[in-house]
Amino acid sequence: MNNQILIIIEGISATLAFMLVRFMIKPYRMTGENRYLGLPLGFTLLGVSYIFMGVSLSFSDSLIIEKMKWLQLFTGVYAFVFLAVTYYFSAKMPRQKVHLLMQALISLMFLVLVFLFVTLFLPPLFALPSYKTADEYFRLFNMILAIYITFHTLRSHAVKPEPKTILAPLGYALLAFSQYSFLIWSLDSSFSAFVGAHVIRILSLLVFLFVSYKAIIAPQDTAQKKSVV
Amino acid sequence: MKQLRRDRLKIYMDILLVIKAESRKEKIVFTRIQQKTNVPFDRLKMYLSELKDLDLIQDESSPKLTGKGLQYVTEYEKVLDFMKRMGLTYS
Repeated sequence: MNNQILIIIEGISATLAFMLVRFMIKPYRMTGENRYLGLPLGFTLLGVSYIFMGVSLSFSDSLIIEKMKWLQLFTGVYAFVFLAVTYYFSAKMPRQKVHLLMQALISLMFLVLVFLFVTLFLPPLFALPSYKTADEYFRLFNMILAIYITFHTLRSHAVKPEPKTILAPLGYALLAFSQYSFLIWSLDSSFSAFVGAHVIRILSLLVFLFVSYKAIIAPQDTAQKKSVV
Repeated sequence: MKQLRRDRLKIYMDILLVIKAESRKEKIVFTRIQQKTNVPFDRLKMYLSELKDLDLIQDESSPKLTGKGLQYVTEYEKVLDFMKRMGLTYS
């Protein structure tokens, strides 16, 4: 596929992810609880990972491409970790423990980023494993986390089934499926898996955008229409 | 299932939601709010006084939401609905 098309697709994905951050930060802002901080952080890092991938596609220097791809891998994994942690802690733990764990996770992220910076941008001190192998393991890990979130949200839906609560599990299932398609593409270079992974990823982000619109924007529009009538 | 302790913000919001739900009635009685929010009487009086200081309710004896209070509760309900749709729990 043409690199320009791929850059546009990464750009669209990043834009959608950043649009979602505006909504995902609302639970944290309203409640002030750290356990919901993973949601905006997760979607921000997803957007950043798509930007790194887009940037890597726009360079011709193979050294820069590799560095950008490694950054994309780590930010992508952290995005899924933050999302999974948010769901894991959303009901289970006392506030103080969650606060400490979130701080630990953010500190660990900075440590990993410093390590990555030292490894990638300074004269080589440590040798990184092959990008392709790491990519496959990371995709698998991301997929497992996305499946975990899918089951978590599906369980919430099953407790009190409502049509409006089925979309979040669908969104996360699509996100997991896109990671699976990227994994298949990495293993057998299947073109359809590569295209499918991008399309499914955008679909999943659109599902989340629809959920956000229905909950936050649509009631506002209805209220405004009522006041005009 | 183990119930986590509610923080002050959650209690405020529970009280405001009850006041909003009861707002069609002519007079909102304390005991009704107390029953629905599960807050002891002396603490409920203190919370209502604080909510009045924040300009979220009009009167402590028969509380009604102010414009600011209604706006705050509406925003809160939207965020709660969003969290529910996203499969997140807030307890």
